Amino acid sequence: MSANATMDTGLAIAVADGPAAPALRTRDTPWIRAEGLQLQFDRGAIHALDGLDFHLCKTEFVAVVGPSGCGKSSLLNLVGMLEAPTAGRLFIDALPYADVADPAAFRRRHFGFVFQSFHLIPTLTALENVLLPTIGARDARRDSLERGWQLLANLGLDKRARHFPAQLSGGERQRVAIARALINEPDVIVADEPTGSLDSAAARQVLDSLEAIRARTRITILMVTHDSEVSARSDRIVHLRDGRVDPSRDDRP
Amino acid sequence: MTLLQLAVHNLLRRRARTALTVCAVALGIAAIVALTGIAWGFEASWQKANDSRGTDLIVTRVASENSMPSPFLAEAGTRTLKGMPHVQDVVGLLSEMLSVSADAPPVFVFGWAWDSYLWKHLQLVRGRWPASDEEAGVVLGSIAADLLHKGPGDALEIEGRPFKVVGVFESPAVIENGALIVTLTQAQQVTDKPGKVNVLNIKLDGDASQKDAEAIKARVRATMPGYIAFTSGELVRQNAIVRIAKAMSDATILVASLVGTLVVFNTMLMSVNERTREVGILQAVGWHARTIIRLIVGEAVLLTLTGGVLGCLIGIAAATGLSHLDLMRGKIDAVFSPLFLAGVLALSALLGIAGGLLPAIKASRMLPARALRHE
Repeated sequence: MSANATMDTGLAIAVADGPAAPALRTRDTPWIRAEGLQLQFDRGAIHALDGLDFHLCKTEFVAVVGPSGCGKSSLLNLVGMLEAPTAGRLFIDALPYADVADPAAFRRRHFGFVFQSFHLIPTLTALENVLLPTIGARDARRDSLERGWQLLANLGLDKRARHFPAQLSGGERQRVAIARALINEPDVIVADEPTGSLDSAAARQVLDSLEAIRARTRITILMVTHDSEVSARSDRIVHLRDGRVDPSRDDRP
Repeated sequence: MTLLQLAVHNLLRRRARTALTVCAVALGIAAIVALTGIAWGFEASWQKANDSRGTDLIVTRVASENSMPSPFLAEAGTRTLKGMPHVQDVVGLLSEMLSVSADAPPVFVFGWAWDSYLWKHLQLVRGRWPASDEEAGVVLGSIAADLLHKGPGDALEIEGRPFKVVGVFESPAVIENGALIVTLTQAQQVTDKPGKVNVLNIKLDGDASQKDAEAIKARVRATMPGYIAFTSGELVRQNAIVRIAKAMSDATILVASLVGTLVVFNTMLMSVNERTREVGILQAVGWHARTIIRLIVGEAVLLTLTGGVLGCLIGIAAATGLSHLDLMRGKIDAVFSPLFLAGVLALSALLGIAGGLLPAIKASRMLPARALRHE
């Protein structure tokens, strides 16, 4: 794990390193690099990604936008190692995708996922959902429980920790999902339309939470969104069209 | 939350299905426990009866694997056996399952030579022993006395012949406690088998070794055509009823194991299919394939172990209840050794592993992105 990743992502915890220098240094080198990435379904009948080039540097907040079916979620799935590319080259932390011996462990160490539909386990409490990534993991932190409580407290959910997802509002559920994404101190938060199911007030609250986390921890964020307000908060926007980056669109918010 | 707690939690999410699966496994395990306990108990009861009499070798007709060894004339065989080295005593025994009253189940009636060593291990509880070989007196085992509601001084008919109950005894062997004993002469008269016995009991002298016993067995084979000598354990194991009971128990183990495995397999497969998206979530948050396998196999093992414990309790209760039925009292005494019960629980765990492994592997091999997209 990189120097940045060793920092605690809890909002109330002080950042160990100086904020500026490492951020500039890490931004020079792409942490994730994709070249000619292809993802096909139905034996090649559907091209979700069709020769996509992409990079993501450490500490960046990149928004991926584009029309429905352009390959946004597919890009996130490949980058987050939830799916394997059909063709092309994908490097994560300079390591070719094919050389990652244990994708699950790699995913647990480096990525935290936030989904549009929350993907919380309905029969587990908020706290139990947050702790889910640590269950059965040999490398789980000993203080996972305390950390889970702290993450929920930092996201304003300490009083909702014992509640089940059905007892929480959409915004609260998404913040629980964010806490779950942060429990293993990942390098990157991969978020697939995290505000897509929320009303504007709840969406703003979730975005504020993510921004606050990023401000304190400089965690990298890769986010798919349809919302221009969300993409406006990012460092860079990647426009996709037909499974490729649209070169005609400016990548600055 | 630990993996075990999560497994318990997942099982409790579908209480009805979990309860039904546990019940199915419990019934299978109960059948195994009850039948095996009874089969072993049957064997143990007969062996205990033979052992407690102090018999070293038993001679029967070669067709001794019948449920009751077929009767034969005792005199010639007794004479031959008494001439063999280390043979201290040879005593004939006639046994039959007979009805003694219209409203009671059939009981074992043993005919023992009046003055033989066979009686020595019995403890007289009430009354007295038969006074002579010719006396039409019967002594009742304690269970038989209870079943027949008879005691010393009461009259009894065996196969239509009048007998007088002269005593009640207690034996270390449940088979004998459920039996009636008359003198050999009286038994031969009642069954119209004068001079005949089912077996000849051989008591060896104190100097006889295992090697001497084997030598006598070989000599019986060589000099007494149509006859064979066994130790009591060998005779019981050769017994057709014991063998059938054990075969039924083995068949039950096989069938119950197969059915149990299929039930658990079906339950876990349904569970995994229903939780496809959940498996995707676990994979997305970094669960390793082996952790997913441990969770699902753990759930299956919890199911079968719970069923196993319940099944042991039900099986013990059923076998104990059966052995207390009037029809069975004094004939079987189910045996449940701790080792046997531990083996049954180990079998239960194995059923869980066998039934849960394939669904677990299926879950662990799901592609995370596809599992998350699952509706």
